Amino acid sequence: MIHFSNVTKFYENQAAIKNITFSVEKGEMVFMTGPSGAGKSTLLKIIYLSEKPDEGSVTIAEWDLSKLKESNIPFLRRNIGVVFQDFRLLDNRNVFDNVAIALRIRGMLEGEIQEWVMEILKMVNLRHKADSFSRALSGGEQQRVVIARAIVGEPTILLADEPTGNIDPDTAAGITRLFKEINARGTTVVVATHNRELYRNTGRRVFRLDSGNMVGEEIG
Amino acid sequence: MYLLYSFRLAFQSLWREKWINLLSVLTIAAGLFMITLTFFVVYNIDLATKRLPARFSVMLYLDDGLSEQETGSIIAQLKKNNAVEQARYIAKDKALEELKGVLKNADYILEGIDENPLPASIEIKLKKESVNIASVKKFAAEIKKIKGIAEVEYGEQFLNSIHSIKGMAKAGSLSLIIIMSAGVIFVCYSTLKIAFYRRKEEIETFKLLGATRGFIRAPFVIEGSVLGMFGGIASMAAAFAFYYVLFYKVTATIPILKILVFPLETFPALPIVGLLLGIGGAVIALGRIRFS
Repeated sequence: MIHFSNVTKFYENQAAIKNITFSVEKGEMVFMTGPSGAGKSTLLKIIYLSEKPDEGSVTIAEWDLSKLKESNIPFLRRNIGVVFQDFRLLDNRNVFDNVAIALRIRGMLEGEIQEWVMEILKMVNLRHKADSFSRALSGGEQQRVVIARAIVGEPTILLADEPTGNIDPDTAAGITRLFKEINARGTTVVVATHNRELYRNTGRRVFRLDSGNMVGEEIG
Repeated sequence: MYLLYSFRLAFQSLWREKWINLLSVLTIAAGLFMITLTFFVVYNIDLATKRLPARFSVMLYLDDGLSEQETGSIIAQLKKNNAVEQARYIAKDKALEELKGVLKNADYILEGIDENPLPASIEIKLKKESVNIASVKKFAAEIKKIKGIAEVEYGEQFLNSIHSIKGMAKAGSLSLIIIMSAGVIFVCYSTLKIAFYRRKEEIETFKLLGATRGFIRAPFVIEGSVLGMFGGIASMAAAFAFYYVLFYKVTATIPILKILVFPLETFPALPIVGLLLGIGGAVIALGRIRFS
């Protein structure tokens, strides 16, 4: 599903990731871990095409990114749900609209959007907050809105960048359960985190990054 | 389809910045109204010069003492010329009679003249398509060769002046229309560029969620169309006020202005022109949308 081969990315002559090679199979759930600045976010950005690799090749769901036309990028992105580290919620819109935007972009009819979004909000336990503005929510609630937006389009890949960054341990455990549920439905999940609790005893593969290098792989 | 949602986004944005947008609409309206006035001037100059062929004539003065047969032969030759619409013979006596009619209040000028000094002449009306400097010059040169014609007069300077006035008016107005249109596009461009920067974060998020260029552009193009169209409607109201005041109020005191014509097609055209210029401004403001 995701294949990196000798991928390097520079920022102002400084390598953010160096010569990274790894693969993630379809339906797998993996973790990327390492300290801040290890290159976890850069790696995810390359997967959702926010950044281009300077060296090496990347294949996502059979799409060779080096051969991908720019006009096809939106269609590949629709297969990838992203839980952004900085949330990227639309402050001037309510929870419903924040989730619905992912379906509106896909051209879904409003009637279907209504039904589908409410279903997803129920799944993340936010149905009662559908009309609340995102800025009025707690950190954990905002995080769940972002997850709802990422999964509402039924992507084949779900990426989560530090999904438990600013939330309490109980909420974090709930979010981990949610990712497992999503993965159980067949979605490939990649979680970038420096929180050991998130992958401990999960039995999933954990890739360890440090200073842009892939320094190890273990089972969590 | 996302078009309904694009309309919703566009109208939300228009409403959020209603005062800036109102200012833009008024500026667009002022620009379009200036274009309308310029067009009105050109239209009337063009109309006046189109009326010219009906009034324009070439005068041929004949040699003295031509026989009736010789005069008849000259008229026959003229009528064969493709440029000639009509040829009217004016005998010496008739010419004097017409002059006396013109000098009705100053007949002392002709006192003491015993002999008719005026020559016989032929007044020629040319066909509409032949009333231009080149054709008239060519025609004058051709007929001057006919035996019995002493002089050909066609107001060369007058024709030249009309031609250059028309040319200058057209060039000047066209430049003004282009400048004003560019101004209208610029107003739409800057309004939408500001809106685009204001929503930059939101647009970046849309892109990351898989939005196509069409989805991102649509609300801005709709905003541009609405601004342009409302500017057009406002300028239509101003143009109508101008039309009403000129043709129903001013002409009552200055009747000669009744010869002016206001093309009524301008009214429905203004919102359409505004809409197109608005779309143009939006497209330029958005430029090329990149995804990586």
